[in-house]
Amino acid sequence: MGNPVIVRRIGLLAALALCVVLLALVPKLPPYYVRVVDSILIYIILAVGLNLVVGYAGLLDLGFIAFYAVGAYAYAFLASGQFDIHLPFIVILFIGAAVGALAGILLGFPVLKLRGDYLAIVTLSFGEIIRIAINNADDLTNGPQGIAGLDRASLFGLPLTSPVHFYWLLLALAIIVCAGVYYMERSILGKAWRAMREDQDVVRGLGINTTTLKLLAFALSAAIGGAGGVIFGSFQRFVSPESFTFQESLLVVLIIIIGGVGNIVGVIAGAVVLVILPEVLHFAAQYRLLIYGIVLVAVIVLRPGGLVSPRFNLGFIVRKVRSLWLSPSKT
Amino acid sequence: MALALENVSKHFGSLVAIRNLTLSFDVGSIYSIIGPNGAGKSTVVNMIAGSYSVTSGAIRLGTTELSRLPKHRIAQLGVARTYQNLRLFDGMTVLENLEVCFFPQSWISFLSGTKRLGKAERLDICHACLAEFHLSDVADVLAGDLPYGRQKILELARAFVTQAPIVLLDEPAAGLNHTETKDMAAMIAGLKRADRAIILVEHDMDMVMSISDRIDVLNYGELLCSGTPDVVRANERVQEAYLGTTEELDDIRKLAQGRRAQGGLRSNAGIVRH
Repeated sequence: MGNPVIVRRIGLLAALALCVVLLALVPKLPPYYVRVVDSILIYIILAVGLNLVVGYAGLLDLGFIAFYAVGAYAYAFLASGQFDIHLPFIVILFIGAAVGALAGILLGFPVLKLRGDYLAIVTLSFGEIIRIAINNADDLTNGPQGIAGLDRASLFGLPLTSPVHFYWLLLALAIIVCAGVYYMERSILGKAWRAMREDQDVVRGLGINTTTLKLLAFALSAAIGGAGGVIFGSFQRFVSPESFTFQESLLVVLIIIIGGVGNIVGVIAGAVVLVILPEVLHFAAQYRLLIYGIVLVAVIVLRPGGLVSPRFNLGFIVRKVRSLWLSPSKT
Repeated sequence: MALALENVSKHFGSLVAIRNLTLSFDVGSIYSIIGPNGAGKSTVVNMIAGSYSVTSGAIRLGTTELSRLPKHRIAQLGVARTYQNLRLFDGMTVLENLEVCFFPQSWISFLSGTKRLGKAERLDICHACLAEFHLSDVADVLAGDLPYGRQKILELARAFVTQAPIVLLDEPAAGLNHTETKDMAAMIAGLKRADRAIILVEHDMDMVMSISDRIDVLNYGELLCSGTPDVVRANERVQEAYLGTTEELDDIRKLAQGRRAQGGLRSNAGIVRH
């Protein structure tokens, strides 16, 4: 790379500007496309959240969507005619995150002694139990019919009605979640998680309580799932158990695996690919799922480590920007 | 602060690995636990560190009974260790391998609201430790990419970085060549401090004899002999149990020298039993 610093700086600026322009142009797209982008952002939030548990702490959680359901139903209960409670959106966002975290800890306690396959099976069951419980608790949740007519959300007096409004909200939350998770990844907590993933026993020998560490991962990731669920509820203004099937959990896990485990950039790429792919494949009609499956298998075979190399992570990008901008002499 | 084992026994099913062992380790010295294979050396280390429970008896650090505590609590109280077979965090850098040792302190002060060790201070301590162990040049290299000898040293550094008063070293010289073993011995000898007890389990007799203040010899889970290197070397029961009979000792040394000469190895390497 013999390019002078100034050229590389301009290149970097152009790349950043391109990102900003693309993000700013999304609202100009037809509503259908905006909805697809909203969907991508929701899955980015979910997958980055789940990545705390799967990627950093190394615990395979196949029931993540349960926390998303908890958040969505928190919104349905607290902002609808169901119990005639109408709390503001922002309050429910925090309640949803807190209830999600609580559910995460409740799940965490019994499963902490399990590892690998056993943990995956138990978390999978947990996801299904939550869905079936929602399905059967007719008095509370209207069962399979779901709860309709949820309140229109508004944030600081601004109504959130169109997909474009939610686009900005989701974009903001996605950026906050990515930044927060990135900060955690770099902190000593993130290092403790990675160390635990490598050798649980040695980590205990360093004086680290692995139970606390795992519970923390479960709680934080479930809080992100819960917050995502609240937005989903306010966006759809309708919740039913159908939205929270095992397939959804699987999709979030797939996003992480296809994108690159433990890598925020990878997870974002995974979400983009896995959400857009089925939309693009509409032309293939009944062969859609077949092609979708073949593409996934091809990715796993050709790039078993995920689409994005572990080297190309958020830390790499931050370093790049910093070195080009703050101390160009070092590059 | 002193670490004391009081009438400690450990049974694995019907096998008695340790029988009524009473030992005391005070800070300020280097102790070695030696004995033939299967004598129960590693079992002692694993019981002190909390990896194994004790069947009967008690292990105390000062007035605290360690043998009832979970492993991470024992480590928090100041017992650090290395492992017989290397157990580093291979996917993390050398520096991160040390940094993560400060998580418990950081977490406890976070919960109790006391002042936390800042990131800058933490990094300073870790960098100073890396310099002490001659690892500064590889601070940002993945631990798994280091050559074996330096991985051993990194594991040593990880046990010392938090200034734990009790450090257990389980065969630090295993797998090292002669020069590396000498370096390792010098390094451990240099780590002796008034507020620290170093407890070494090692097969390399030259190393044990040169750096220990006291040697405890185990045989079939019982204490055979305990004393300074000279006392242990002179003890006939030790020679019989561990090194062979007194006459055999010379034979073995001759044999070893002969074999080394054939293999082109140094003849002064001494008897190394693995």
